[in-house]
Amino acid sequence: MNLWQAFKMAFKSIAMKKTRSFLTMLGIIIGVASVVIMMSVMQGQAKKSMEMFEKLGENKITLYLWAWDGGESAQRVTDYCLVLGDYITGITPNAEINDTVTIQYGSKTIKTNDWENFDWNSGTDPWSTMLHVYLGSEQYGICNNYKLAGGREMSYLEVEKGLPVCILAAGAKEQLFGFTDPVGETITLNGDPFQVVGYYKPMDIEYRPEMDNLIVIPYTFNRTMNNNYDMNEYAIKARDAQSTVQAMTRLTAFLNGMFPMNADGWRENGDFRVSSNNSAAENQQKASMMQSLVMAAIAGISLLVGGIGIMNIMLVTVTERTREIGIRKAIGAERSSIITQFLIEAAVICSIGGLIGIGIGYVGTMIAGKLMKDVFEGMILVPDTTIAIGAFLFSVVLGIIFGMYPAIKASGLQPVEALRAD
Amino acid sequence: MLIDIRDLYKIYNEGKESEVRALDGVSLQIDRGEFVAIVGQSGSGKSTMMNVLGCLDVPTYGEYYLDGNDINSLSDKQLARIRNREIGFIFQGYNLIQELDALENVTLPLIYRGVSVFDREDMAMEALAKVGMDSRARHRPSEMSGGQQQRVAIARAIATSPPIIMADEPTGALDSRTGKHVLEILRELYRGGTTILLITHDDGIAATAKRVVRLSDGKIVSDSQQEVEWE
Repeated sequence: MNLWQAFKMAFKSIAMKKTRSFLTMLGIIIGVASVVIMMSVMQGQAKKSMEMFEKLGENKITLYLWAWDGGESAQRVTDYCLVLGDYITGITPNAEINDTVTIQYGSKTIKTNDWENFDWNSGTDPWSTMLHVYLGSEQYGICNNYKLAGGREMSYLEVEKGLPVCILAAGAKEQLFGFTDPVGETITLNGDPFQVVGYYKPMDIEYRPEMDNLIVIPYTFNRTMNNNYDMNEYAIKARDAQSTVQAMTRLTAFLNGMFPMNADGWRENGDFRVSSNNSAAENQQKASMMQSLVMAAIAGISLLVGGIGIMNIMLVTVTERTREIGIRKAIGAERSSIITQFLIEAAVICSIGGLIGIGIGYVGTMIAGKLMKDVFEGMILVPDTTIAIGAFLFSVVLGIIFGMYPAIKASGLQPVEALRAD
Repeated sequence: MLIDIRDLYKIYNEGKESEVRALDGVSLQIDRGEFVAIVGQSGSGKSTMMNVLGCLDVPTYGEYYLDGNDINSLSDKQLARIRNREIGFIFQGYNLIQELDALENVTLPLIYRGVSVFDREDMAMEALAKVGMDSRARHRPSEMSGGQQQRVAIARAIATSPPIIMADEPTGALDSRTGKHVLEILRELYRGGTTILLITHDDGIAATAKRVVRLSDGKIVSDSQQEVEWE
């Protein structure tokens, strides 16, 4: 008996016993489909949660400083950061001008922090539309992971000398200039002219929409435009993950010395906080990993249950078909022919079930993506091909393993014993 | 000598209280081209005898030579080959595969024999024609009467043109008229040179054979040639 014949027999047998074949397939279909859907959703989720960290940039240290002595301590900290040159590549103040600033370009006039006139019934989120003026250094872009879309960053001299230049984030550029090139144009902030030297690409961070609505000017304007308020937030870019830890340790030690704690646990001169995204990102990654493992275990169990279903059906099939096996043996079927027939039958059922499972898995993933479109905003859920193929192969291998035992059991009978079965 | 068994035993539950000696030291020789009926009451061991002779079962003790081959020394694969090429079986309950139609049932032994796709359908149709069932080739067993099913079963048995046909109560489930038809087919095969082994409890049926071997309690009690009216 050749293989082709065995395949034909297997197909015939599957077609003859439709209900039985369908029930066998069902286990595999559910198993494979649930694996594909679960893994896809989980991967989408993990990707989504890491996306924000990726956009914010790695190795970014945020330093909050609350000093009661004016700008002096801030200057000491930034000076100290020069000592940390081995570990960090940039530092910038990241302070907003909290008073309302009137921005004008041509006939357009936009006010920042204009809460009084904000139309709360408009349905828009003020954070995603309202503009903000920030004070920063020439390293503002590097430290905050902005990428230039056109023009250049501010220069060291422009910042140090307090020249009236500015950089626009994508949203601010769009609100003021639409699709025209802003580089070289002049806008006015509270009537003072500022020349636009560059603009950034969109950050598109779901939880930080305001990051796209900034106008950054040299921090040296703090005195003239911000009433010389303390600048209490700094963004520091470290060279790598290791440097981030080193820089944070040293900064913390330095600041502990600057703002000593008294016996009551209070810092009398001021307070600070040093944090980085790295640990948060790592935690997120660990959480995703844990989630993956749990999901993979659940998926594995559903596949296993499907496999056990196949085993049961195959065992029942053998009992049910022992007589047929007896007849086949009586008219000259070799043991190998019968094993081959059963194996192919199992493999074919599992393959068909697996393929249907993948199909349902793909459709299910799309549906899941639609249903959870709030979670996966702007992202299309696509099932992972590797996982789909893996689940498929797994189901076929399961089918062969579980198909093997009954086939061996059935073919080992003496023909007369098999014929006696009813 | 085609079939040669010496001192053959088939014992179930040996050594236990429920021990049954289905064959209790049987010796029998059958030549090529004989028409032998093995007769006995139910429980006499005649079916066990056919199962052992047909390589469907293995004896507990004793020697069995089929066409000079020592059956006890053959592998599973060689036994399958013998069942396929040397022996054709006809069972009381027909033993057709319900999911396959008449032609497919008859083709099955040819598939196991390795006959090419192009030849086996012709051979199967030829066998069906011999039993007058070629017009029902595409019918399933459930769509046929008992007599028709038995004729398909005979076609299956003769499809590979085996030198031996073993029939276990072939008329047992049939009315007397269709039973006679089946016996006529067997006689036809005998005339063509096939060795026929007919197992039956019915002396009337046994009367069709030229040699009658009578079994009782697993032992041969008589073995005689007889005149038959059909020759």
